[in-house]
Amino acid sequence: MDEEKKTERKKKRFAARLKSSRGIICTESTGPNIILCNAGQATGLEKSEITKLVTDLQIGEHPKFIAEKGETHSFLVFSTTESAALFYDTYNGKAKIDDNGTPLYMSFVESVPNTEVVCPHENPKGLQIINDFITIQEEDTFMKLFDWDENIDSSKLKNRQVKHYGYEFRYGSNDVDLTSPLHEKIPEECDVLWRRLRNHGLDVEVPDQLTVNKYSPGHGIPSHVDKHSPFGDTILSLSLGSSVVMDWKHPSGKYVPIQVERRSMLVMQDEARYDWQHGIQSRTWDPIIGNRTVTSEGTQKHVTVITNDTQPRQTRISLTFRWTRSGPCECKYKTLCDSVEKSSENIEDDVASNLEELHVHQVYEQIAGHFSTTRHKPWPKVVEFMASVPPGAIVLDLGAGNGKNILRRNDILQIAGERSSGLLSECKQHIQSIAGADCVRLDLLNANLVDACADVVICIAVIHHFSSKARRLQAISTICRLLRPGGRTLITVWAKDQTKSNYLCKNKSQEPEEQRVTVSGVNLPVHENRTQFQYNDLLVPWKLRHVKENKLSNQPENTLLRYYHVFEEGELDDLCKELPLEVEKSFYEEGNWCVVCKKINVST
Amino acid sequence: MKLITHNMLTSKCIKGVLTGYPLAINATDVKVTEVDYNPDFLSRVIPKLDWEVLWTAANSIGHGEGLPKAVEPKFEENEEFLKKAHKVLLEVEVEEGYLTCPESGRQFPISKGIPNMLLTEAEVQ
Repeated sequence: MDEEKKTERKKKRFAARLKSSRGIICTESTGPNIILCNAGQATGLEKSEITKLVTDLQIGEHPKFIAEKGETHSFLVFSTTESAALFYDTYNGKAKIDDNGTPLYMSFVESVPNTEVVCPHENPKGLQIINDFITIQEEDTFMKLFDWDENIDSSKLKNRQVKHYGYEFRYGSNDVDLTSPLHEKIPEECDVLWRRLRNHGLDVEVPDQLTVNKYSPGHGIPSHVDKHSPFGDTILSLSLGSSVVMDWKHPSGKYVPIQVERRSMLVMQDEARYDWQHGIQSRTWDPIIGNRTVTSEGTQKHVTVITNDTQPRQTRISLTFRWTRSGPCECKYKTLCDSVEKSSENIEDDVASNLEELHVHQVYEQIAGHFSTTRHKPWPKVVEFMASVPPGAIVLDLGAGNGKNILRRNDILQIAGERSSGLLSECKQHIQSIAGADCVRLDLLNANLVDACADVVICIAVIHHFSSKARRLQAISTICRLLRPGGRTLITVWAKDQTKSNYLCKNKSQEPEEQRVTVSGVNLPVHENRTQFQYNDLLVPWKLRHVKENKLSNQPENTLLRYYHVFEEGELDDLCKELPLEVEKSFYEEGNWCVVCKKINVST
Repeated sequence: MKLITHNMLTSKCIKGVLTGYPLAINATDVKVTEVDYNPDFLSRVIPKLDWEVLWTAANSIGHGEGLPKAVEPKFEENEEFLKKAHKVLLEVEVEEGYLTCPESGRQFPISKGIPNMLLTEAEVQ
C-alpha cells in the first residue's frame, strides 16, 4: 500500500515538473501514449531495455519509442490503449531503470512530440533502386561466393574490408590502372544480373570492374562521389546481408537519406552518378526512414522523414560494378568533376562559403557535445593574456566555442560570440555564474556588433576554418573594426609545422593510402590525425563518439571531416599587416601561430 | 541576453542598413539572476556605454523604474545609482523574445537567453 502511495506521489511530482518545465500534459485517462518520466536519452536509457520490457509482456507489440536528445524523459506510443495499459500496470513504479534499483515512473500523456526530421528534397535524379532484384537463394549464393575469412586475402581499409575483380581500385588516386588487369575477372555467376537489368529496361554492357566491400555493423564509408574520369556513366551496387541507410548529399546543400534494402540493386546514373555524394555513417544501427504526406499551400507533397525509431545493422556485403574508361570526363556536372580541377588557394566566395557550411559549421553542430568534453581547459598563453586584461575592459571572444576561454573574473565584461548553436548552449551553461559574461550567436564575417566597442578581442583557433585568403582577411578585418583605437587582440591559428608540438604521434608514420574528397569542386586531402601536415588546405577527421553520463563511449559513432587552412610561419602576421593593426608580438605555441596586435589610431 | 550586451548589438551588416542601432527589444520572458556586485567594474564600464540606449531598453522590458535618464557627474560615488545600474546591466536577462532592426524591420530571435544575430548570405552587403 505504501509502495502504491509513493508511486502515486512521485507521479504527481513528475507531472507537475513536466508541465512547468516542458509543457507536457500528463493525464489520468488511459490512452496509447505513455511518458517514461525518469528515463530518457540523458539518463542513458537504451532502446533495447524498453524493447525487453515490451517483449516480456508477450503482446506482439512494437511501440514507437521517442527519446529526445538531452532529455531525462522519453515516450512510448502503443498501437492500442490496452497494450499501453498493460505496460503501465505491469511496470509503473516496479521496473528498475538502473543498477541501483531506481524504479521507473510513468504516466499517460495526451500527445507526444514529433521529433521526425523531415527531408524535403527529392531523391537524386538518375538514382534507381530495384528492390528484390535477386531472390533469397541467389543472395545466399552470392554471399558464399564473395564472403571471405576476415584475415585472408583481402585488403583492410580503416572502416571496412574490400576485394577487387577485373582491375584493382587504387585508393590513393581513386582510379584503376588499365595497364595491369587483375587475374581474377568478375565471376560469371554475375551474368544473370545484366540480363535481369535489361528486363528492367536498362540496356547495359557487361561491366569490367567489381569492388566487393564488407561492412561489419559499425563500419561505414565517408561521403564520396565515384571519381568521374576513370569510370563510365553507370555504376551499380548490389546489397547483400543487411539493409542500410545511405546518405546522399548535393553540393547545393540538399540531403536525402535513402533506405537501401538487402537484395536490392542500386543504379546510379546522371545526377546521382556525377553530382551527388553518397556515404554510409559508421554506426551499428540505422534510423528507420519513413514517408509522410504533408499538405502545404493546398497541395499534397510526399516527403522523406528520419523517424526516431532505429534498427540494428547486420554484416553487409556490397558489390559495386563499374565500367572502366580513359581520357578526361565528359559529364555536364562540373562541381564534383575531377576533370575540372580547381585550386583551393583562391576559391570563389560562394564555393568557400559552401565548403565552410558543410565542413565547419555543420560539423561543429554535430560534434558540439563531444567537443566540449574534450576541450575544458583554456591554453596557458590565452589565460595569461586574459588575466592581463585591465579591470573595466570590454572583451569579445569571437569564435568562443564552449566558452572555455572566458575567465571567472567579475571586473571585466566578456562577451562570447559563436556561430554554432550547439557550442553556444554549452557556453551559456559555462558562463552562467559569471557576472559580466554573456553570449551571442554571430558570424565572424558579418558580426552584428557596434564598431570600436571592444577594448580587447580574442580569436582563438578560428581563422584557420576560413577557406580562402579573402575570407581570412575579412575575419581579421572584423576584429579590427570592433576594436577601439589602441585596443588589443590575441589571434591564434593552427600551424602547418607541428614538429615542435605534442600533436605528432611518434609511432605513426604517414599512411600510404591517401584519401581525397571533392567538395564543391575543390579537391581536398583527408589528413591522417597525429601526423605532420602535408598540405595547407585539408580535411581533418573527427571521430564522433557519444557522450553518456559525461563519459565518451569507446566506439566512434561517425567520422566527420573538418576543413582547416593550416598556416605557414609569418602568414598570420602578413594578414594583420594589411589592416590598421600593429603586430606587437608574434610567437609559436604548441602547434599554433599566435599574434598580439594593437589597433592603430587611423584618422578618417 | 543582458542589457549590457544589447548596448553593443546592431544590425548594420544587413545590406542597405546604415547603423541598425539601437535594436528594439520585444521580450516574452525576462528573468533576474543575482550576480556579484562590483562597483569598481561598473564605474569603469558605464562611461563606455550608450546610456540612453540602455535606459530605453530597460524601460521597454519593464525594468526602467528609478533609473535616471542620464548618467550624473560623480555617479561612481552614488551607491544607490550603481546598485540600480548593476541590476539593469547584469542581472536582468531577456530569455525569450526578439530584437528588431530600426531600419529594415528584420527580427532577430532571442531563445534560451541567446540572441541570434546570424544573417543569410542574401541579406549581407
